[in-house]
Amino acid sequence: MGKPLLNGINNPIPEEEYIPSSKRYFPLDRDPSEYKYVGKNCTRKDAREIVTGAAVYTDDYKMNGMIYGAVKKSPHPNAIIKSFNLEKAKALQGVRAVLTYEDLNAMNMNPLMGWPPHKPLLDKHVRYVGDAVALVAADTLEICNEAIELIEVEYEVLPAVYDAYSSLKDGAPQLYEQFDHNICPGGLELMQLDGKFWHLVRGDVDKSFAEKCAYEAEDTIEFMGMCAPNAPEPPGVIVRWDGGLKFSLWGTSQSCFLLKLVNESVLPGIKYEPYTFHTGGSYGNKQSMTFQTTAATALAYVTKLPVKVFQTKVEQMTNYQTRLGTQVHARMGIDKDGVIRAFKGDWKIDAGAFNDNLQGNIGVGLGETQLIMGKCHDWDLNTDIVVTNKQPAGIVRGYGGQELNSCLSMLVTRVARAGNFDPMEVFAKNYVSDGDTYIWRDGLPWRAHSIKYDQMIRNTAAKFGWKDKWKGWGVPTSVSADGRYVTGVGCSCIGNADVGEDCCEAYVRLTPGLLDDTTIATLHADITENGNGQRSNAQKIVAERIGIPYENVVMVPSGTIFSPTGVSLGGSRGTMTLGHAIANACDDVLEKVFKAAEVKLRCSWQNMEIKDNYVVSKLHPGEKIRLGDLVNYWCTFTGYGKHVEEFSTPSCVAVFVEVEVDTYTGKTRVLKMVVGTDPGQVIDPATLEMQVQGGIGSACLDTAFFEEHIVDKETGRTMTYDMLEYKTRPFNEFPEFDYLFEQSQFDTWQYHAHGIGEISGGGAASAAMLAISNAIGVDVSTYPATPDVILKALGKLPKGDKK
Amino acid sequence: MGVDSCTLWVNGKKYEFSVGTKFGQLSPEETLVETLRERLGLTGTKKSCDEGACGACTVIIDGEAITSCMTLTVDCDGKHIITVEGLQNPSTGELDPLQQTFIDEYAFQCGFCTPGVLMTTKALLMKNPHPTRKEIEDALAGNYCRCISQYHVLNAIEKFANGGEK
Repeated sequence: MGKPLLNGINNPIPEEEYIPSSKRYFPLDRDPSEYKYVGKNCTRKDAREIVTGAAVYTDDYKMNGMIYGAVKKSPHPNAIIKSFNLEKAKALQGVRAVLTYEDLNAMNMNPLMGWPPHKPLLDKHVRYVGDAVALVAADTLEICNEAIELIEVEYEVLPAVYDAYSSLKDGAPQLYEQFDHNICPGGLELMQLDGKFWHLVRGDVDKSFAEKCAYEAEDTIEFMGMCAPNAPEPPGVIVRWDGGLKFSLWGTSQSCFLLKLVNESVLPGIKYEPYTFHTGGSYGNKQSMTFQTTAATALAYVTKLPVKVFQTKVEQMTNYQTRLGTQVHARMGIDKDGVIRAFKGDWKIDAGAFNDNLQGNIGVGLGETQLIMGKCHDWDLNTDIVVTNKQPAGIVRGYGGQELNSCLSMLVTRVARAGNFDPMEVFAKNYVSDGDTYIWRDGLPWRAHSIKYDQMIRNTAAKFGWKDKWKGWGVPTSVSADGRYVTGVGCSCIGNADVGEDCCEAYVRLTPGLLDDTTIATLHADITENGNGQRSNAQKIVAERIGIPYENVVMVPSGTIFSPTGVSLGGSRGTMTLGHAIANACDDVLEKVFKAAEVKLRCSWQNMEIKDNYVVSKLHPGEKIRLGDLVNYWCTFTGYGKHVEEFSTPSCVAVFVEVEVDTYTGKTRVLKMVVGTDPGQVIDPATLEMQVQGGIGSACLDTAFFEEHIVDKETGRTMTYDMLEYKTRPFNEFPEFDYLFEQSQFDTWQYHAHGIGEISGGGAASAAMLAISNAIGVDVSTYPATPDVILKALGKLPKGDKK
Repeated sequence: MGVDSCTLWVNGKKYEFSVGTKFGQLSPEETLVETLRERLGLTGTKKSCDEGACGACTVIIDGEAITSCMTLTVDCDGKHIITVEGLQNPSTGELDPLQQTFIDEYAFQCGFCTPGVLMTTKALLMKNPHPTRKEIEDALAGNYCRCISQYHVLNAIEKFANGGEK
């Protein structure tokens, strides 16, 4: 397993450190073809619930005495509240509470959200259209909405600012007194225990440009769509006051642990007991849900009743967290062999109205950039997080890496074009491999261990037909007879070392059958099911490791009270982290069982296994003992396992896209998409396939074509405020899709996998932009490449602002 | 509207409501998705966009796939409604073959959109037992799936419609 190279944050990594690592920590003790469950599709344990409508989501849950909470919102992007008139709202029958910032301050229950803590839940200063002005609790949602209309507010309206570069200028409206020029301090102590990390400095970048680089590219590229991941199930919570400062919490989050950690941290003294049900999509976007949770907490505390606070779809689209905005200016150099040698850049992150820990996103973005330029030793990439008067950005699948990749992969192709290199070969040649080093989001240098992807990238290219379709830079793959329709191809790569992130734990408890010889394994791991069969796959690992049937494995519900620590399977963590912890727990419990059987089976515990529910001796065939005969009175055996965070085995996904452009109308159509990856040993083929297909959704591929939030700069209002205005891809417009999964047995944990995590669609947008550029023979770098963008590139519309 | 009662047949069971604005009465403004979820406890039907754009609330009304968030309950007086809970055999619990195909073909991820997708598909198959791939795609164009289960869903339905062959 990997460990950080202990030469400190931002210190240059000596050239001699770039050495392959040969030691294997997890030997291949079994041929993968012998696995009974791992690597094979198993029916999800919740399948019947899902297809019958019996699966419970938070909005389906009802509690006796439950009332509803809702929010009065600001109509202005930047304003000071001068006065309230709450009397009419409070007088409405059925209204239980109306709270303003003055009430929350008096209750000492007005959390400061974001990092460093800066955004009060309710404040005198409202900073975006939709910012919270007051909270209402009432017997029904209809009464809540009626009361909201009765609240009268007088505002002093202030000028507003809507993008990072403008927000940085002298004289720009200041959103927070403590953030000079609207810049949030960099670094996140929680993720960077040895020191803050927001400025990547390695080697001597100027010297490298001068001495190593044969070709260069420099440009400013923006990814400013602030796109909506738009999980089908809107964010929402139910909070119940349990006395004192204790609360029970049911949420649509994908992580009970993060619900507890983040919300307890912003409301000191308060203790939550969080639970989750099925989560109706998240894509990394529904985790701490601080606003909903703390608002419901305040209302529950005042009313002493369970309060449900759910966003409507319009609220989710206009108030909830989006992808972060990105503006990058960068210069990149490549040598005569197509190896990127020097990088200098400046990354401005548009956080919207407050910064919800985007320092972590920056750490991952900086790390992922080094993965796709894994042979580059000379770097200077600075970052700034800037607040603006828009709905807040936050955590979304890709966690900063996708947004930066969408800009920098485009620059990689520019520099490849300067040297007339095949872009596929540039990605294959430059991607990080065993022995390469990089500074990960913890600010520490890591050396890649066991991984190598260059051939996987080339094999995926072959499956796509790259050799035949790639005709050269700016050259279409095909042109229709009348010249109207052109096609082009593009490719990209992305990866993430966060497949090893977060320490986590698990228990596995073996219970003998009460009245028969069966053995039941109960898994205690805090995993919320949010779509990829995570809970079922965790149980598969138990069945495989213990040696009992899959149907004999059960799992406790998700909730921090039921299991030891685990951040759940959000983000890129999962296969390698909880998988490792669970496998260790299995090994631990087996050791206990086998040691208990040593005398009776007359052999050492290392020579035993479980077969057909019995503990059997490998040395004395036929000798076996029932698990129940090893314990007294139906007692059980419990094993403990943990995974310790480490970042030495980054994942990799290669994306190839073919696009058709109608040069008369500017309309684009994706013809074909092929995704390649090597997740190590595949745990569940069907869910992996759907995971990579998921890279089309959740604001990934289609951020290149039509997905974007459009803000009216006169009013600050989001014009794409609902699912009719915000465009997504319907069922009848999906392209031909194929994939390639290689299965190297990486040295990661017992089953030699690391998964691919959240990156499946992270490179898709930049690949699509390259395909469009090649199709029409003109560089297109404005996201999304809507028909007006393409017609301007073709000279058929006058240049100018996109909107 | 001048009506003081409303009768629904939901999954074969008859429900009679008193229409009005007093406590417990069926309001003339109440949508079918609210009635199904809040009054009848049929929470398999999901409420999401609340404007007919996502299809999560789709049910079958007299043979047609309808978004129940855009349908007033009082307009369903006398109509027969099937929700996702009504697909399985109520006596034996045996799944509708379409449900079983969705399980066999891994045709869902988070599952939030699945009830709506199933009901749209069921309505299509009731009218057209052997649709083409294009007909299936077009029928589902109003159902939103952000996890991207579209490929597995389409393969499952195509296989089902072709008697087990894709």
